[in-house]
Amino acid sequence: MMSHWIIAPVMLPAVVGALIVLLMRNDLMLQRVFSLGATIVLAAISLAMLYAATVHPPEVYFLGNWPAPFGIVLVLDRLSALMVALTAFLALCVQLYVIGTDWDARGRHFHALFQFQLMGISGAFLTGDAFNLFVFFEVLLIASYGLMIHGGGKNRLRAGVQYVAFNLLGSSLFLFGLGTLYAVTGTLNIADLAVKAQVLPEGDAALFRVAVVMLFLVFAIKGALVPLQFWLPGTYANAPGPVAALFAVMTKVGAYAVIRFGVMVVPATTPATGGLVADMVLPAGLLTLVLGALGVLGAGTLSRLAAFAAVASMGTLFIAISGFTPAATSAALYYMVHSTLAGAALFLIVDLVIDRRAHDGLHAALPPIAQSGLIAGLFLASAIASAGMPPLSGFIGKLLVLDALRDQAGLVWPVILGTSLIVILGFARAGSTVFWKAHASAPLEAPRHPPEALSFVAVGALLAGLTVLTVFAGPVTAWMDATAASLHDPAAYIAANNLQKAR
Amino acid sequence: MSLALIAALPFLGALLPGLMIRAGKNACAAISGMVTALALLLLGLNAPAVLRGEVVQTRIEWMPALGLNAHFMLDGLGLLFAGLILGIGLLIILYARFYLSKSDPMGQFYTYLMLFQGAMVGIVLSDNILLLLIFWELTSLSSFLLIGFWKHLPEGRQGARMALAVTGGGGLALIAGMLILGNIVGSYDLSVILENKEAIQASAWYLPALILILLGCFTKSAQFPFHFWLPHAMAAPTPVSAYLHSATMVKAGLFLMARMWPVLAGTPEWFYIVATTGLITMVMAAKIALFKDDLKALLAFSTISHLGLITMLLGFGTAEAAAVAVFHIINHATFKAALFMSAGIIDHEAHTRDLKRLGGLRTLMPITFAISTLAALSMAGIPPLNGFLSKELMLEEAAHTVWYGNPWIMGVAATVGALLSVAYSFRFIAHTFLGPVRDDYPSKPHDPGIGLYAAPAFLVVLVLLIGFAPMASAAWLVNAATGAVTGEAVSVKITHWHGLAAPALWMSLAAIGGGLMLLGSHAFWMRIWDAVPRPEAKAMFDAVLGGVAQASRAITDTLHDGAISRYLGIGTITIAAASYWAFDTGTHLAGTRPLMPVSAVPALGWLALVLATLAIMIFHRNRLLTLVLVGIIGLMISVMFAYFSAPDLALTQISVEVVTVILMLLALNFLPKRTPVESGIPRRTWDMAVAITAGAGIAALSYMLMTRDFAFPTIAEYHVANSKPEGGGTNIVNVILVDFRGYDTFGEITVLGIAALVIFALTEALLRAGPANDRLLAWRSDQRQAGDRHPMMLVVATRLILPIALMVGVFIFLRGHNQPGGGFIAGLVVAIALIMQYMASGFAWTASRQRVDYHGIIAAGVLIASATGIGSWFAGLPFMTTGFNYFHLPPLEEFELATAAIFDLGVFLTVLGAVMLSLASLSRIALRAGETVNVQPFDIDPSVDRTLDSEEAR
Amino acid sequence: MEALVASALGLLTAAGTYLMLRLRTFPMIVGLTLLSYAVNVFIFAAGRLVTGMPPIITKDAIGYADPLPQALVLTAIVISFGMTAVIVMMALGAFLEAGDDRADMTEGDGQADKPSGGGGAP
Repeated sequence: MMSHWIIAPVMLPAVVGALIVLLMRNDLMLQRVFSLGATIVLAAISLAMLYAATVHPPEVYFLGNWPAPFGIVLVLDRLSALMVALTAFLALCVQLYVIGTDWDARGRHFHALFQFQLMGISGAFLTGDAFNLFVFFEVLLIASYGLMIHGGGKNRLRAGVQYVAFNLLGSSLFLFGLGTLYAVTGTLNIADLAVKAQVLPEGDAALFRVAVVMLFLVFAIKGALVPLQFWLPGTYANAPGPVAALFAVMTKVGAYAVIRFGVMVVPATTPATGGLVADMVLPAGLLTLVLGALGVLGAGTLSRLAAFAAVASMGTLFIAISGFTPAATSAALYYMVHSTLAGAALFLIVDLVIDRRAHDGLHAALPPIAQSGLIAGLFLASAIASAGMPPLSGFIGKLLVLDALRDQAGLVWPVILGTSLIVILGFARAGSTVFWKAHASAPLEAPRHPPEALSFVAVGALLAGLTVLTVFAGPVTAWMDATAASLHDPAAYIAANNLQKAR
Repeated sequence: MSLALIAALPFLGALLPGLMIRAGKNACAAISGMVTALALLLLGLNAPAVLRGEVVQTRIEWMPALGLNAHFMLDGLGLLFAGLILGIGLLIILYARFYLSKSDPMGQFYTYLMLFQGAMVGIVLSDNILLLLIFWELTSLSSFLLIGFWKHLPEGRQGARMALAVTGGGGLALIAGMLILGNIVGSYDLSVILENKEAIQASAWYLPALILILLGCFTKSAQFPFHFWLPHAMAAPTPVSAYLHSATMVKAGLFLMARMWPVLAGTPEWFYIVATTGLITMVMAAKIALFKDDLKALLAFSTISHLGLITMLLGFGTAEAAAVAVFHIINHATFKAALFMSAGIIDHEAHTRDLKRLGGLRTLMPITFAISTLAALSMAGIPPLNGFLSKELMLEEAAHTVWYGNPWIMGVAATVGALLSVAYSFRFIAHTFLGPVRDDYPSKPHDPGIGLYAAPAFLVVLVLLIGFAPMASAAWLVNAATGAVTGEAVSVKITHWHGLAAPALWMSLAAIGGGLMLLGSHAFWMRIWDAVPRPEAKAMFDAVLGGVAQASRAITDTLHDGAISRYLGIGTITIAAASYWAFDTGTHLAGTRPLMPVSAVPALGWLALVLATLAIMIFHRNRLLTLVLVGIIGLMISVMFAYFSAPDLALTQISVEVVTVILMLLALNFLPKRTPVESGIPRRTWDMAVAITAGAGIAALSYMLMTRDFAFPTIAEYHVANSKPEGGGTNIVNVILVDFRGYDTFGEITVLGIAALVIFALTEALLRAGPANDRLLAWRSDQRQAGDRHPMMLVVATRLILPIALMVGVFIFLRGHNQPGGGFIAGLVVAIALIMQYMASGFAWTASRQRVDYHGIIAAGVLIASATGIGSWFAGLPFMTTGFNYFHLPPLEEFELATAAIFDLGVFLTVLGAVMLSLASLSRIALRAGETVNVQPFDIDPSVDRTLDSEEAR
Repeated sequence: MEALVASALGLLTAAGTYLMLRLRTFPMIVGLTLLSYAVNVFIFAAGRLVTGMPPIITKDAIGYADPLPQALVLTAIVISFGMTAVIVMMALGAFLEAGDDRADMTEGDGQADKPSGGGGAP
C-alpha cells in the first residue's frame, strides 16, 4: 500500500526546492548537499514505487479526497512508475556531473530550478488528469527555461528565447486542445476520457478528432517530431551540457504522453478516431529519423552532433510507438529507456570534450585533450549506444523495433537500417577527428585539466545502466511486455479510478 | 557451457593487456597468448566429439521473447574456423610483440586484438543468427579500431572509416536478411533454420533475403564491387593485416556463405550471383595484384583474388566444390599469413615495402627468403605445395562447370586467374629477393631475430606438411568441415597426380607457363597499365561520402538556421492543416444550442476589441502604442468576462493586464522603441495568410463548440452541487481553484515562483562582467525624460493609495471563498500598489523602506501551500483534503474558517513575491544602467548619485 | 452573440499569429501574449456563454455559468503571465548581450563556437 507515497515525487522536490530558496540560496555547498540528498531519496522512493506498481494493480490517489472524475487524481501504474524511476536515475547522474564540474557555480539557483524541474517531470508522469498534465508541462517547461539559459551568454540567451517562444506556441495549442476536449466530452480525467471516447455521439466525432490531433501535436512538439522538431537542435546545442543531458527525458515526456493517450485513451478501436494517431506518427517518425541521421553526419559541431542524435532517437522511438501493438509498445518502452540513458551519456561526454578542448567545432584539428584515452573510450561507448551498434542496448532496442514492425518491414526496415549506417559514419567521422586526428599534430605540452572524478562517475553510471539494460534484456523486456499489455487493456487503470456519476 | 566459455575467453582476455602493460610488453603479450592458448585448448577438448560427427551445443537463454539467445554450436565448419582464428591468433600475438615499436601503445593493441578474436570466435560458434549478427558487427568495430591503430596516419584513419562504412553497411543489410530468414522459418536458431531448406527456397522472400545476406558476405570478404576497402585497410600494422585481412575476418563472409550453404545454395540465383561474383573478383584482383609495387598491396589484391576463388567454388553449389573451397580456406590461411608476416619483416628491416626499391635480398635475408619463397610458390600453385593441391582441384571443378550453357568459359577464366596468380607470386619472389644486391636500401637489411620469423616459419612448415601429406594432415579436417557444410558425410581424395586425362593438369601447365611469360614481359605490361586510366576507388568513395556529408550538412543547417519566425510559421501551418484534416475526415453534426441575441453594449465592446486588434496589426512597429493597444484589448476582454458572468476572470484579467503592461513598459525602456521594416511585402502577405488561416480555424472551431451542447453531463455539475456543502464556499470558481482542483493551483503558483527565480538568475548573469553589463553601463536613455521623474502629485497620491490598496487586498483575499476575489487577485492588487510606490518614487527609495526578502516570500508561499496540502495527511486524508467550520463569537456575525484559506494565503504570498522579485530584478538592471536614484521620496531636482551598488537594491 | 465572440476570438488569434511571426523579439512576444488572450477566451467560451448567472451560490439563482472553464482560464492566465514575464526578461537579456533584438539567430544556432562552459566566472 503506497498511499501518500504516490505524491512524494512531486512534493519532495517542490518542498526541497522552496527550502533551498528560502534558507540556503547563498550557500552552494548546502544547496549541493540538500539537493543531492533529495534526489537520492527521490530515486529510492521511485524504486519502491516501481516495485509496488509491478506487484499491485494501478493505484489512484484522490487529491483533496474528491472522487474521480471531479477532482484531480494521480495514477501509479507500471508506465508512470517506470518513467519516474528513469527520471530519478537520470537526475542523479546529471546532478553528480554538475557538482563534479562546478556547472552549478556558473549561475544562480541551479539546484532550486533543478528540483522544480524534477517536480514538473514527475508530476507530468503521475497525473491522471488532462488539464493537470498541462499545468505540470508548464512547471517543467519554465524550470527548463531557467536551466537552459543557466550561465547566460549571447547564443544561449537567443536560443533560449526561441525555445520559450516555440513552447509558448505549444502551450497555447495545448489549451486550445483541452478547451475543445472539455467542450465535447465535459470531462478532464484521463480514465473518464478513455471511457467516453468509446461512446461518443457520432456527430461529435469530427470535433473530438480535432481535439485529439491538437493534443498529439503538442506532444509531438515535446518529442521533436518532424516538422515540429525545429526548436530542438538550437536549444540542446546551446544549453549547458548537463542540462541537455537532463532534457533527454523531457523529449520522452512527449513520447510518454503519446503512448498514454494513443494506446489507452484513443486506441485504434475508437470509433471516432480510428487509426488517426498512427497515421500521423509513423510518417513523421520516419522523417524525424532520417533528418536526425543526416544531422549527425553533417553536424559541424559536437553539440549539434549530440542534438541531432537525440532527434534521430526520437524518430526511432516514435516509429516504434506508431505500431500501437503490444509488441511495438513494449519495444518502444525498451528503446525509450535506452535512448534516454544513451542520449544523456552522449551529452555529458560531449561536454567533457568541449570543456577540455575549449572548442566545439569538428573541423579544426586540435592537440589531444586531457584524459584523452579515457574520454575517447567513453565516447566510443556512447557512440555505439546511440548508433545502435552491438553490443550495447541500442542494438537490442533496434532489433526489438524491427521485429515488432515486421508488418511494415518494406517501409520501416530500410529507413531504420539505412539511417543506422549514416549515424555510424557520422560518429566515426567526429570521433576520428577529435580523438585520432589530434595526434597528427604533436602537442606542445601535455594538456592540463582537473580530472573531476565525480563527472566520470556520473557518465560511468549512465553507461552502466546501458550495460544492465543489455545483460538483463530478457527480464527487462518481459517486464516491458507486461507493461505494454496493461496499457493495451486499460480496464484495470479505469477501474482504479472508480469513476462516479455527477449527483 | 564450454563453448560459451571459448567465445567469452578472448573478451575477458581483452581486459587484461591494458592492465598487464604496466608489467611490461612481454607480460602484456604473454597474458594475451595464454588466454588464446587456453581457448584453443578448450576447443581441442571438443574436437574429438566433432570429428566423430557430433554437434556440440551450449544454450543459454538471453531474450527468449525476441528469440535472441546465447546459443552456441560447434560442428566441423566451426571447428575449422575457430581453430584457424585461435591458432593464427596465437602466432600473431607472438609476431606482434616483436613487430610493434617501443612508441606503440601495446596494451591498447592487444586489447583490440583480443576483442576482435572474441568477436570472430563468436561468429563461427553462434547457433543463433541474432547473436551471430552481434559478433558480426563487433568484428567491423574492432577492425575499425585496429586499422586506425596508428592514429597519426591519415591513411589509417581514412582506411578505418572506409572499412567500417563498407563492412558495417553490409552488416546492416545482413541484419535485414537474417530477420527475413528468421521470419520465414519462425525461429532465429541456426540449427532450426538449417533444417528448413524447402520452406526458405519456396518463400517469396527467398531472393531478397539471399541478396541481403550476400551483401553482408561480399562486403566482408571484399568481393567485387566491394573489394576496394581491403587494400586501404593495409594502413594497419602488418600483424593486423596478416590476421584480419588475410586469415580471418575477410573469411567471415566465406564462413557465412558456407554456413548458409545448406539452405541458400543449389538454386540458379545462388549459382549465378555467387559463382559469377567470385570469378570476376578472382580474375580482376589477380590482374591488379600483378601491377602493385607495394608488397602489402600486392598481397592484399592476391587475397581478394583468392577469396573470389573460394566464393566461386561455394557458388558452384556442389559438394565437391564445397570440399575444395574448405581445403583452400585452410591452405590460403597458411601461406598468405606467412607472406604477410614476411612482408612485415622486410618492411621492418629494409624500412620499405616498395618492390622498386627492393631486390637482391636473398643473400642479406636468407631465412626470410626461404620462408617467403616457399609460401609464394604455394600461392602460385607450384607442386607439391598445398596451394597446388587446392588449385588443381579448383581448376578441375571449374572445368566441369557449365555457365549459362557455356561449358568452357569457367575453365578458361579460372585458368587466366591461376595464370595471373603465378605471375604475381613469382614477381613477389623475383623483385624482392632475386637480382643484384643494391646499395640504396633505406636501411641495411638483415634477418630479424627468431621472435619475428618463428610464426611465419611455423606456417610454412604447415604448407609443406599439407603439401606432402595432404590425406594425413588435412583430409580429416576437410571432411569434417565439408560434412558440416553439405550436411552429408564426405571423404575427399587429395592427390598430386590426377592423370593425364585430367584437364586440371593442362590448365595448370598453361597457367604456370603463361604466368612466367607474363612476368618476363612485366615491364612492357606495366607501361601499358600505367598508360591506361582506371577508376580510383578511394577517390570515388571519398567523393560519394563527402558529397553525402556535405549534402546532409546543407540540408540540416539550412533547415535549422535559427530562423525562429520560419519555425513558428511551419508549426502554425502544420497545426492548422492537421486539425483541418482531422475535422474533415470525421463526421460532424452542427450544434442545436439556441443562440444568444446580440445586444448593443457587447456589440460596442466587440467593436472596440476588433478596432484595437486591427490597429495593433497596423501600428505594431510603434512599440509604445502597441503596449497601449494591448492594454485596451486586455481591458475589453475583462469587460467581456464580466458581461458573460465571470467576475473572477474579469478581476484577474484586469489585474494581470496591469502588471504585464507595466513589466513590458519597464523592459521596453531598454529596448528599441520602434520595430524596423525588415520583411518585404511577399513575406508579410504570406504571414498574413498564415495568420488568417489560424484565426479562421479557431473562430470556426469555437463557434461550433459554443453552438452545441455537451455530449455528456459535465463534471462541473458536481462542482456546482458540492461547492457549498462539501467545499464550504459559495464562489464555485474559487472553491474549484483552492479545493476541487487545488492541485492545479499549487502547480500554477509554483510556475509563478519559478518564473521569478529564473528572472532573478538571469539578471544575475546579465549583471556579471560581460557584454550585457558593458552595454548597461554605457546605456543612455533615448527617451525625453520628464522634468521631475517623480512628480509630487503622483507621489502623494500613491502614498495615500497604498494603505487603501492594502486594505482592498486583504478584503479581496478574505471574501475570496464566497465572493469574487481570492488570494491570487489579492496578491496582484497589493503588488500593483507597491509597484506604484516604485513608479512614483523610484525603486531604491521604496526598497530601502520595505526591507522584505522576495525570495523568502515566494518560498514561504509555496511552503505554506504545500503544508496545507500535507497537513491533511495527519488527518489520514489524501493530499489537500480541506476542512472548514463555522464559528460564532459575539458580537461578530457567524464566520467561517477553511483550511483552503490557508492554502489561498500561500497563493497570495507566492504571487506577491514573484511579481515583486521580477520587478526588483528589472530595477537592478535599471540601476546598473545608471538610472537616477533618489534618496528623497520625491525630487524636483534629479540627484547626482548615479552609481548605486546593485546589491543594495536587492 | 456567439458569432461576435467567435469572430473577435479569430481576429485575436490572427493578430497574435501575425505578430508572432515577426522578426524582432518584441512584436513576437506581443503576438504570443495576444495568442494567450485568445486561448483564455477560447477555453472560457468552451463552457458556453451565459449572462447574468455568475457561478456564485445564491438562494435565488436561476442557474450558474459553467465554473470549471473559468477556473481553468484563471490557471491559464496566471501561467501565461509567468511565461510572458520570463520571455520578456530573456528577450531583454538577449538584446543586452547581442546588441540587437532580432529573434532569428543569423549565425545559425550559434554553431560557430560554443564558449567552453558559457557562463564566465560565477
